[in-house]
Amino acid sequence: MPVDTFEKVYLPNIERGETETLQQYRAQGGYEAVRMALDMAPGKIVEIVKDSGLRGRGGAGFPAGMKWSFLPKGVYPRYLTVNADESEPGTCKDRPLMEQRPHALLDGIICTCLAIESELAFIYIRGEYYNSADVLQKAVDEAYEAGLLGADVLGSGRRVDVVVHRGAGAYICGEETALLTSLEGYRGYPKLKPPFPAVSGLYGKPTIINNVETIFSVPLILTKGADWFKSFTHERSTGLRLYSVSGHVKKPGVYELPMTVTLRELIYDYCGGMRNDHDLKFVIPGGSSVPWLLPDQLDTVMSMEGVQEAGSFLGSAAVMVMDHTVCPVWAIENLAAFYRHESCGQCTPCREGSSWMHKILMRIEHGQGTMEDLDTLASIAGEGKPNTGMISGRSICALGDAAAWPVGSALRCFRSEFEEHIKLGHCPYKNKRFWMADGKFVNESFEHRPSWHH
Amino acid sequence: MPSDRLRSLPILGSRVGEIEEICAKYPDRRSAMLPVLWIAQNQEGWISEDTMKEVAEIIGVTAAEVYEVVSFYTMFHQHPVGRHHIALCKTLSCAITGAHEVSAYIREKYGFDSGKNISRDGKFSIEEVECIGACTEAPAMLVGETLHGDLTPARIDEVLGSLDKIT
Ligand SMILES: Cc1cc2nc3c(=O)[nH]c(=O)nc-3n(C[C@H](O)[C@H](O)[C@H](O)COP(=O)(O)O)c2cc1C
Ligand code: SF4
Ligand code: FES
Repeated sequence: MPVDTFEKVYLPNIERGETETLQQYRAQGGYEAVRMALDMAPGKIVEIVKDSGLRGRGGAGFPAGMKWSFLPKGVYPRYLTVNADESEPGTCKDRPLMEQRPHALLDGIICTCLAIESELAFIYIRGEYYNSADVLQKAVDEAYEAGLLGADVLGSGRRVDVVVHRGAGAYICGEETALLTSLEGYRGYPKLKPPFPAVSGLYGKPTIINNVETIFSVPLILTKGADWFKSFTHERSTGLRLYSVSGHVKKPGVYELPMTVTLRELIYDYCGGMRNDHDLKFVIPGGSSVPWLLPDQLDTVMSMEGVQEAGSFLGSAAVMVMDHTVCPVWAIENLAAFYRHESCGQCTPCREGSSWMHKILMRIEHGQGTMEDLDTLASIAGEGKPNTGMISGRSICALGDAAAWPVGSALRCFRSEFEEHIKLGHCPYKNKRFWMADGKFVNESFEHRPSWHH
Repeated sequence: MPSDRLRSLPILGSRVGEIEEICAKYPDRRSAMLPVLWIAQNQEGWISEDTMKEVAEIIGVTAAEVYEVVSFYTMFHQHPVGRHHIALCKTLSCAITGAHEVSAYIREKYGFDSGKNISRDGKFSIEEVECIGACTEAPAMLVGETLHGDLTPARIDEVLGSLDKIT
């Protein structure tokens, strides 16, 4: 593990896995940001956040301060919704933020409410995060008792209420407009934009939606300064970032790093390299929705611009690492099943396209594919980039693109392996059994080891 | 104000006080739909048609509208589940670290007939689900409300075996 010269401020004690108490948080200057924010004009807070260059950590990387400034003047009430749906496969950094530092998140929520002049914030948290919701609710109750929340925040006369709202299992509810329809008590169907939520969102009122990590950054920026945030910069990516690294690395985990880190450093230095010193096959650099990267792209800088230059997206900074035992056809079939299952079904290209792609991929993986299937697949999926193929750019929300891009990119990266499946009439990888019921190998000659051997 | 009518509902009547507190947090009563369904499922283990009718009455919508919502969200069970419900992740990071083997192991060792998602004794039910946000601890599963990661056969036995004994 390299020695970092910067101070970790999001999850400094992630290994301990403990929940920081209100007292602990306050003892190290917690909620000072709220005091500062109460003394500032709302526009000033927005200016500072704009100046910091903070961009959304949920996936699209939209500048947070700019989003806030889109709120129509003089229209109230306004709502803040914290996106804690965290369901993009590979992503698991909001959960430790909520479970370990719930008060730091509330600090961010209060500051953001003051900045955007909202009196009511919702934390929309995925249903599977039972524990996070409990921890947050407890922190919210404590904050009310301490006078940090409620009708009179720290005696200022300003009101901020926070409601923890649990989802119930639907990836699509992470999409901002679907999240709002879900919060209104309906099926989580996305809506066409415009109007953007900042103009017409929850109950038709101006609504700001930001990811947990984005909101979490706000008090850090207020107390440490925009210049501190900008001291970590690669092109237009400022600040520290939480990378969720999963898959075949020796030490999977959530890593807090400046976005100047390269993919090579992330895998080989921070994560200790590949498990069993296997070869790297491919990397999904920003959550399952983004195009894949190959081993010759290890020098990619893991900033929004760096990953985009490499032909993919940093997305939610969830890095999924596959070693040479992973069959790319099997892997993309797994992801295609995910998108087929999670498509809400409103738009024909996404609903039918995600289902066709999955069916074709199943055929190929199971040895029943044809060369024509590959052409059909390519025509639906496109080239693994925006506005190619039959889905991307033709649906209400970005789930359509998210379903298509990885398939297009898998085809582009590993076309010969798809063809091999078709020619052989079966999958050439015999490596899809990791352990037997007794924990021993299916076959000692298998070249890979059980994955939990760090 | 909760009417006597709501209080006399056979399934959720006794929860009406708590439910009204939740409703009061939202600018619109309909937003309490998911929270109320959660209360119902936590109490009953699943959401029956009768429950949906009561939720409809509480929220002030039709039963069809409640059904529309229940059927959209995968965590709402429309059929009874085992005393301990297992939601096992099958998405990529878990798949490449043994999720399929975890599934096979649990199904064989904990009394599931082939093709059935509930164990013979009704103690366990299992569902292979999409990513549960524990990818850095793959393979992972939720048993009831508790997350368990870095699953190995030994770890699974530790978790499920202890439950096996209690109930
Ligand atoms: C299909 C889909 C799923 C999404 N899931 C999430 C999610 O789980 N968490 C999240 O913060 N953003 C998610 N987003 C992005 C949100 O729509 C939105 O851009 C984001 O919450 C805005 O916050 P940010 O600017 O702070 O990133 C998703 C988008 C799409 C299209
Ligand atoms: S693109 Fe897919 S998920 Fe998004 S609204 Fe259309 S059908 Fe639903
Ligand atoms: S892929 Fe299994 S928890 Fe995310």
